[in-house]
Amino acid sequence: MLRIPFRVVFEQRGETARRLSLLVPLASVLAALFFGALFLLATGYSPIDTYINMFRDGFASFNGITDTLALSTVLICTGISAAFAFQMNLYNIGGEGQLYLGLIGGAWAGIALGDHLPTLLMVPVVLLCGAFAGAAWIFVPAFVRSRLGTSEIVSTLLLTYIGASLIKHVIYTPGSFFRNPNTSFPQGRLVADSASLDSFGSSRLYPTFFVALVIAGALYWVVKRTEFGYRINVIADSPKAAYYAGIHANRTTMWVMLISGALSGLAGAMLIVGPYGKIEPSIITLGYGYAGIVVAALARNNLGLIIVSGILFSGLKVGGNNLQVTTDTPIHIGVMLQGAILLFALGGEAFRRYHIHVVRVHDVSTKKVAA
Amino acid sequence: MNENIWILMSGDAIAIATTLILAALGALFTERSGVLNLGIEGILLTSAISSFLAADASGSVWLGLIVGSLIGALLASIHAVLSVVFRANQIVAGLALVIFGTGLANFLGKPAEGKTVTTVIKPISFGPLSDIPVIGPIVFGQDIITYLAIALAIVASRYLFSTRPGLELRATGDDPATVDAQGLSVARIRIRYTMIGGSLVGLGGSWLMLAQSAGWHQAATTNGLGWIALALVVFAGWRPMRIIFGAVLFGFTLQLPFTLQAEQITFIPSAFLEMLPYLATLIALIALSRPGSRNLLGAPRALGTPFVRDER
Amino acid sequence: MSNTSHEVAQGPHHNSGAASTALSAHSIDKKFPGVLANDSVDFDVRAGEVHTLLGENGAGKSTLAAVLCGLYQPDAGYLMRNGKRISLSSPRAGLQHGIAMVHQHFRLVERFTVSENVILGSRDLPFRLNRRELNEKVAAVAESYGLPIDPDATVGDLSVGQRQRVEIVKALYQGAEILLLDEPTAVLVPSEVEKLFENVHAMTAAGKSIVFISHKLGEVVEISDRVTVLRNGRVTGHVPGRGTADTKELARLMVGRDIELNAQRATHATGHEVLQIRNLSLSVNDVSVLTDISFNVHAGEMVGIAGVAGNGQRELADTIAGLISPTSGSVTISGSMTTDRGPVQAREVGLAYVPEDRLGMGLVPSMSILDNLLLTRDRQVVVDRISVRPEAARLIEQFEIKANGPDHLARKLSGGNAQKGLLARELSGGRGATKLLVVCSPTRGLDVGAIETVRRLLNDARSSGQAILLISEDLDEVLSLSDRVLVLYRGAVVHETAGETAQLSQVGAAMAGLSGGGR
Repeated sequence: MLRIPFRVVFEQRGETARRLSLLVPLASVLAALFFGALFLLATGYSPIDTYINMFRDGFASFNGITDTLALSTVLICTGISAAFAFQMNLYNIGGEGQLYLGLIGGAWAGIALGDHLPTLLMVPVVLLCGAFAGAAWIFVPAFVRSRLGTSEIVSTLLLTYIGASLIKHVIYTPGSFFRNPNTSFPQGRLVADSASLDSFGSSRLYPTFFVALVIAGALYWVVKRTEFGYRINVIADSPKAAYYAGIHANRTTMWVMLISGALSGLAGAMLIVGPYGKIEPSIITLGYGYAGIVVAALARNNLGLIIVSGILFSGLKVGGNNLQVTTDTPIHIGVMLQGAILLFALGGEAFRRYHIHVVRVHDVSTKKVAA
Repeated sequence: MNENIWILMSGDAIAIATTLILAALGALFTERSGVLNLGIEGILLTSAISSFLAADASGSVWLGLIVGSLIGALLASIHAVLSVVFRANQIVAGLALVIFGTGLANFLGKPAEGKTVTTVIKPISFGPLSDIPVIGPIVFGQDIITYLAIALAIVASRYLFSTRPGLELRATGDDPATVDAQGLSVARIRIRYTMIGGSLVGLGGSWLMLAQSAGWHQAATTNGLGWIALALVVFAGWRPMRIIFGAVLFGFTLQLPFTLQAEQITFIPSAFLEMLPYLATLIALIALSRPGSRNLLGAPRALGTPFVRDER
Repeated sequence: MSNTSHEVAQGPHHNSGAASTALSAHSIDKKFPGVLANDSVDFDVRAGEVHTLLGENGAGKSTLAAVLCGLYQPDAGYLMRNGKRISLSSPRAGLQHGIAMVHQHFRLVERFTVSENVILGSRDLPFRLNRRELNEKVAAVAESYGLPIDPDATVGDLSVGQRQRVEIVKALYQGAEILLLDEPTAVLVPSEVEKLFENVHAMTAAGKSIVFISHKLGEVVEISDRVTVLRNGRVTGHVPGRGTADTKELARLMVGRDIELNAQRATHATGHEVLQIRNLSLSVNDVSVLTDISFNVHAGEMVGIAGVAGNGQRELADTIAGLISPTSGSVTISGSMTTDRGPVQAREVGLAYVPEDRLGMGLVPSMSILDNLLLTRDRQVVVDRISVRPEAARLIEQFEIKANGPDHLARKLSGGNAQKGLLARELSGGRGATKLLVVCSPTRGLDVGAIETVRRLLNDARSSGQAILLISEDLDEVLSLSDRVLVLYRGAVVHETAGETAQLSQVGAAMAGLSGGGR
């Protein structure tokens, strides 16, 4: 039998060092980039050129940084959506599907109600309809999770696939309400002007960015300071203590999941009032909902940190998307790096929580005797 | 109505069930050891494209299958190390693997886009047996991997319930502290079966590519089969034999849209048919979790929880 | 049997191969973060004897046992088996040398059958398992030591005593020559203890060595050939056992000072009825858990509920606390019916509840003391922590909780301090002034100092007129503290007696379901 002469010993850290809380995520990103570099080299691309281009297109140019902030508007929302549920050990990984529904809900309001209301009212209505549609999409998983304990992981994900079919259906079916009736090429019908915001100057950044920031801040406050947040914290840590204190876990579970769904739906509606103005069927290939999970995990579900990780991550994505144009590197390297960063961050997390030392096995029992 | 099409469909349903059986068996072995690997979808995709590239380069489908399985084991080992050694959150680690695998597969698949498989796995010929009406094409019209998948499920069942390593595997998923007290290494068992599970998933993905799809269509190649496989394990109550039945059932719902289309039955919107397998899985999942359901009792008790020896 | 034991008590030289030391440990050191659990400990056990490791919780006896069986590796020191130096890298290596541990918390897979559990981890098992053959083999090993078990029974269905038997059979099946029994009597009723001791004698007669780990003086004196006492990780004495041992001396060695563990029962008049339970029954999934229970607890009275774990104690406590709705019957707390009203309402009329599971049910581990104080109190929509902070600080001081202030996390409290914190919150009232305190296993797992404090707090609460329901599996605790004792067996009250006149034998028999008298 193969005997490994070393043993890895994990020792729980008493106090988590503050500098590690920052260092570890940063090191994870660097490690993932290093891994990506090896991969690029092996497949015949230049890692240095790739990364320089990614950085320039993501952060270091006017278009880059505004595009990054524009994308982060969506990712911060889907990120909070994921984190808000994750912090209570509810794994809503169907944010992607809820975002599709937010697009549909928002577009419906924008088309159906558009001509009757002024912009000042119309935009909030579109956003609310999107949020409502997102919440509706998670209703069944939330209900069966809180009543029957059905795994929300698989159910929310299955609904994402159903949501993707729905998006295709409303766009590709002739005569569909959401389809532009004036073109033979299938595309979404534009929402009313009153339901569209203007972007800042020549950029593609919309005021919804600030809505996302405000929502992140507001939810942070809710979790830290309110009774609802207190309940979430009790249930997340020990369901038995919640039971003991008479806190209804079922009801809180339901609400947390509905809010999570609403936030992803909101992200979709923000695309309607912002850059899209209609249902864009290519949304099902972009994975903004999934990216929210990475954003949340990188921020360790801390609603405040999500703004930082959301922006960082958006930069990476924007930079990655431009690669195909600028260097002919497949854009999928961006998605792969997302996954890699998350994997390294998870590994790094162990270094934050534990003192890890490697011990030689045959030493442990005889160390002192020999000395 | 054309009877042949329905017979053909039954055959195809069993065929598509092959991937589901292999992927679900992989998930089952992993979960029986107490590790929850949600990364199945990512593993399926990556092994599919790897097998394509390997088969394309070498001209051998068998090499493709081997490479696909190895890649499956390799990706699963990432999950194993993260969740067993580093005690990471298994749910997030699995999701990370899906994202990573999807990106990696599409990156690797760039040169394969538009190409089709030149060599495919062909059905085994049973001579006159294949000509028996109805039964012939369904039972005797499959390729070797399909038969292998069914055989594997049967072997897995025997392995799990009447061998020494099977006993140890079940114990590890149920009560790792007990296994540890016996001086068996929980970590080693978990890593081993997570990797074995990954290779089975990888085999399923490779087969899907080399026997089913004509070419590489990015994420559409698997289209959520990995997630259905995960639900299938719950559906089967963590028992290998029941996976066969569940997989065939899901195979039918996956195959139905194509058959109905061929039959020119159009009163059901195609989008709905497209949703059908996911909807069916969802309904099955909910139905199975009603209170007191016997199926959930089969769930390994330590599923998804890292094992930490109680050292004060 | 008695003859043999007498001779053994004379000295170990009687044994074959004069003083053949089966296993010895030499200057063992074992460190954990912040604690030196074993400090140059010497220990040895001979073939055919019972050598007891005596010490209170945290004295290091379980650590030493873990080192002896290979679960832990010592930081310094070494082991010798039959005169040869050995090093054990794992429990499996221990087993190879014939050393096996029977853990206090059984290491059995509940869903497996008895024989599956027994053979799990055996080295010489064939790849393919023949169920019938293995069942026969397991049954044969069991019977040769007078330990009858059904190899096909599912372990989850067995009683605690039966499970312990499975553990012992398992060790013997694997060829153990030296068995380490970690607090084996902690979970048994008196009649089961007798049975266990018979089994122990059967094993030593067959030449096996038993390392018996315990903190109960009475049984130690009864079963041991020799006793080694540990305190704070150090050996404080090697003492001969059976017949010659002096209980007082052992207690002094164990605790380090003279101590009166039996808390004094304060006698005084009791007041009106605070808790009234009438015909309480509870069924879970059609299985009857509590059957027709009726009793009262008065102001200034402590009523103890004795019983072996799993006879409905937890359900009774949860039902009184309003967490479970009974199938029939009623609970009344200081005049208000609280049946079916939930825990919040029960608290409003004066309930306080200290569950057995301190950290995880009574306290939220990742929350601060301050936030834990809020757990059972009235919180506004926006949680007001500022106004509660002074109270938290006051309670920390008053209950002598070792903490860095109200922001100290609950999970970083020691067991004793967590229990003090829990009692502080529950006794200080919250939604209403505390009138009734339900406590479950209040001293389990605590060190002697903390046990004294907790018992003093309970007595003080009673003196101040609160009604107390004490539910504990520690029979000594129940008998020494309670004014009245009820015995719960299979969900029914089968025995009732006044605390002062309670007879250990009668209560013990009732706990084992052997008597229905006294009520």
